[in-house]
Amino acid sequence: MKPIFVRGMSNQFRLTLAVIMSVILLVANDRLDPVRDALSSLLSPLQYVASFPGQLLDISAENFATRNMLAKQNKTLLRKQLLMSERLQRFEFLRQENERLRALLGSPVHMDAKKMVAEVMEVASDPFHQYVVLNRGKKSGVFVGQPVVDAQGVVGQVTQVSELTSRVLLLSDVSHAIPVRLTRNDARFVINGTGVLDELELRYVSKSTDILVGDLLVSSGLGKRFPEGYPVARVMSVIKDDGKSYATVTAQPLAALDRIRYLLLLWPDVYDDNDALDAEALHSQTTRKSQAELPSALNSTLPLKQSTEVSE
Amino acid sequence: MSLHLPNGRWVVWLSFLVAMLFQIMPLPEGVAAWRPDWLLLVMTYWAMALPHRYNILTAWILGLLLDILLGAALGIRSLGMSIVIYGVVLHFQRLRNFPMWQQALLIAAEVGIYQLVVFWLQFVVDGAQFDLNLLFPAISSLFIWPWVFWILRRVRRQYKVR
Repeated sequence: MKPIFVRGMSNQFRLTLAVIMSVILLVANDRLDPVRDALSSLLSPLQYVASFPGQLLDISAENFATRNMLAKQNKTLLRKQLLMSERLQRFEFLRQENERLRALLGSPVHMDAKKMVAEVMEVASDPFHQYVVLNRGKKSGVFVGQPVVDAQGVVGQVTQVSELTSRVLLLSDVSHAIPVRLTRNDARFVINGTGVLDELELRYVSKSTDILVGDLLVSSGLGKRFPEGYPVARVMSVIKDDGKSYATVTAQPLAALDRIRYLLLLWPDVYDDNDALDAEALHSQTTRKSQAELPSALNSTLPLKQSTEVSE
Repeated sequence: MSLHLPNGRWVVWLSFLVAMLFQIMPLPEGVAAWRPDWLLLVMTYWAMALPHRYNILTAWILGLLLDILLGAALGIRSLGMSIVIYGVVLHFQRLRNFPMWQQALLIAAEVGIYQLVVFWLQFVVDGAQFDLNLLFPAISSLFIWPWVFWILRRVRRQYKVR
């Protein structure tokens, strides 16, 4: 079947060619973004197909859920909703008060940013990076650098956008950093990812800084990328070793990075009323599922104003 | 002469497509680290069976597609795949005649080398962290290889792929 004498190029030549082409690609990597975006748009149907079996499992799990389970889930959700709406009432009052105070001080008033719900299609399948792929892309207006949050806190930022999908770098990736503020005393830090899903680290914290285990860190908005005030992490350990010039501080992300499913994309500069989110919620392809989970996901995100409208 | 004409090209590319889907399919947290390198295994089979048709440059293209799908820097997996497939193409006759267990061990070693090359390139490009579980795919590939081999050989004979 195979010719004894190989025709065409020799293997060595092929390998050399492959190595040279790879090295060229690696060196030119930063300039290849448009090419890569175009190609990943082209390949995004593959991602949809690959995430299909998992979705099928989800759907079947929903269809075979017993009445009992549903009733139970419904009960807990109702209770949660009640708690949340009570909190929201107070929040609404505080928000108005805050707005008035800010107006008195002459500071700009915080507005509600436009948001959109997205579903996770793929979780990093290579051990060196921590990212997820979302089912929203350029078509929905997603852009590179866009902040992404979930019901508990900041998840990460968009690093790549194709036509129908986008890639979100998680907080815990080694190459990710986010400026934060300690709620207790407004001290500023930068949180870096460590490559471990539930551990972040604060670098260059001087040993005299007032930082304690359990402190809450929220985004400070100083990097101009993440809007101010979203919860990011909680301090897990503070070690002040005399042998080192800085304190070793680790924190745990508040967002459950290992089991994220629905995320919110934020448009910090687009001040929008309720229309966008409502339309999104209605048009979401995952109709039944999203209707079951959306309100709970939204309600628990405190900075949202319009969650009452959605859940009704 | 008709024996030298290609046949059943679509079967091979279909098998690549399926392998690629397996490669990027979302898996539960605990199992994900053990995902075998499906695409590399399938590529290895075809490089072993038809080394004059599916070889280093095919591997390069597949690696590039995988890089795009996984969002890595372009060229990382294409380089890794080309290098290990070069080894396969050089020794395809010897590999074919090994007993299955020996073949599987060598394939596992191949996957391990591929993972290390990919890690090293990632490290150079953007400073990845070394983690021992990056060698888990080599172990799972060891056990998956006999099945991949068996299925693909049946496919090759069924469709008379040349």
